[in-house]
Amino acid sequence: MSTFSTLIVGGLATGAIYAVVAIGFALLWQASQTINFAQGEFVMLPAFFALIAMGMGAPYWLAALVTIGMSVVILGAMFKQMLVDPMIKHGVLPMAIATMALAIFMKESVKDLYSAEAYPFPSLVPDRNLAILGANISLQHIGIIVTAIGAIIGLTLLLERTSIGRQMQATAQNPTVARLLGIPVERMILLTFVINAVLVSIASLLVTPIYLAKFSSGETLGLAAFIAAIIGGFNQLRGAIIGGFLLGVVDNLAAAYISTQYRSAVPLFILIAVILFRPHGIAGRKEERTV
Amino acid sequence: MSEPVLALENVTAGYGRMTILNGTTFSVPRGGITTVIGPNGAGKSTVFKTIFGMLPARAGRIGFEGRDITNLPPRDLLAAGICYIPQGRNIFPQLSVRHNIELGAVTAARRLDDLPRRIERAFERFPALREKASVQASTLSGGQQKQLEIARGLLLDPKLILIDEPSIGLSPKLVQETFAALQELRAAGVTILLIEQNARSALEISDHALVLELGQARIFGPAKEILHDPRVAELFLGGLAHD
Repeated sequence: MSTFSTLIVGGLATGAIYAVVAIGFALLWQASQTINFAQGEFVMLPAFFALIAMGMGAPYWLAALVTIGMSVVILGAMFKQMLVDPMIKHGVLPMAIATMALAIFMKESVKDLYSAEAYPFPSLVPDRNLAILGANISLQHIGIIVTAIGAIIGLTLLLERTSIGRQMQATAQNPTVARLLGIPVERMILLTFVINAVLVSIASLLVTPIYLAKFSSGETLGLAAFIAAIIGGFNQLRGAIIGGFLLGVVDNLAAAYISTQYRSAVPLFILIAVILFRPHGIAGRKEERTV
Repeated sequence: MSEPVLALENVTAGYGRMTILNGTTFSVPRGGITTVIGPNGAGKSTVFKTIFGMLPARAGRIGFEGRDITNLPPRDLLAAGICYIPQGRNIFPQLSVRHNIELGAVTAARRLDDLPRRIERAFERFPALREKASVQASTLSGGQQKQLEIARGLLLDPKLILIDEPSIGLSPKLVQETFAALQELRAAGVTILLIEQNARSALEISDHALVLELGQARIFGPAKEILHDPRVAELFLGGLAHD
């Protein structure tokens, strides 16, 4: 029983990170029909921003702020202006393929310009175990869950409770009408990219202490976030959250109780099952889009 | 005729290489309902899009209350007092009805301290919307969605409303309700420019009519006269002779 709780908490921690990355993924899709296959690399890169900042002597908190700032500029604004805007005119598929190219470019750049090694990365919360009701719970996992849920709640409040958030939703749901009402559609789309950049840098700071900073570490994460977004329902943030947590927990349980060898196949099995039986995802709905 | 509220002079516009409006010239007097009629492809909707800055005017001038508004963005046109309700569904399906309406004032929200009162007035005009204020707009019926769009458009007290095919897909009863709402607005002094597939019913409540053909304004006159003009009836009103 105690192992089980440990596994669940570990799974929720992984799932929380998947959820944060999947939300960003779904946001980009909703706002601009961008399917970002470089989303995993978007999580890999900020850790290196932080390593560079800390290498220059910055304390952790400052390095974290610099990381988020650089991500906003490079993975938010520059990504949109230099890749998405020129490519989206050619359609969703060329755009998606361009992001695959970007993923390769980012991996190779980190390998060539920084290093091909894996680097340890400091954790926001010390890696200690707490004994709660006989179960061994990692404090780091709790820290990840709390931070990720905090980010998700913050984002939800922004989207639901503020006028800017509702303008962003309006832009995603019906850009033509949003424009008619004088909503600055372009600025709202840019804001979505900025939010995605913040989300991936938070995910990066949370996940890298566990998996180390390495040029290739985005591969599995990007795929997991993509699958999480699909099984939850591509067009609903709620879906990305459910999908993320579900995938994290199932993944962890499968590794422990079935086989570590087949661990990476489990998300794909879930994906196939969802596509067969609930093609719009667990929380998704049919696309109603006026393009 | 007093100074027109809206005047188009030699306006040219189109999509890509296709020119739809080819030197369109007409003016709309202040107050009253003006119905635009014409065959499919005459450029009726294109005129509205061009006036509202959704399609660039390649040449010509569009004036509103004597001021040049050619190619101004929607934001400035809303501020000037123009509102455009396109055909089809123009709502944000997953936002609540109240939030949908509120977005009508996005360009002016900062200086509107009476926004709640304005929304209250919208609910008074369309009580069905009040009952559904906090549910997703996608749950509204077709007619209620149109009401929502009109309510949203009225939030900034426009002086001129461009409304394209408001009755499409609505039951006869809802069409009547929508037309009644337009008549109320006219009584309040708003100028309405209306495109309507159901041209005959539209002309019956209209003051003026504009006949558009191949992107050119052919006839402008009192709605009653045009309604009974045999040529117009034969060509654009779906064959009066068969009734």
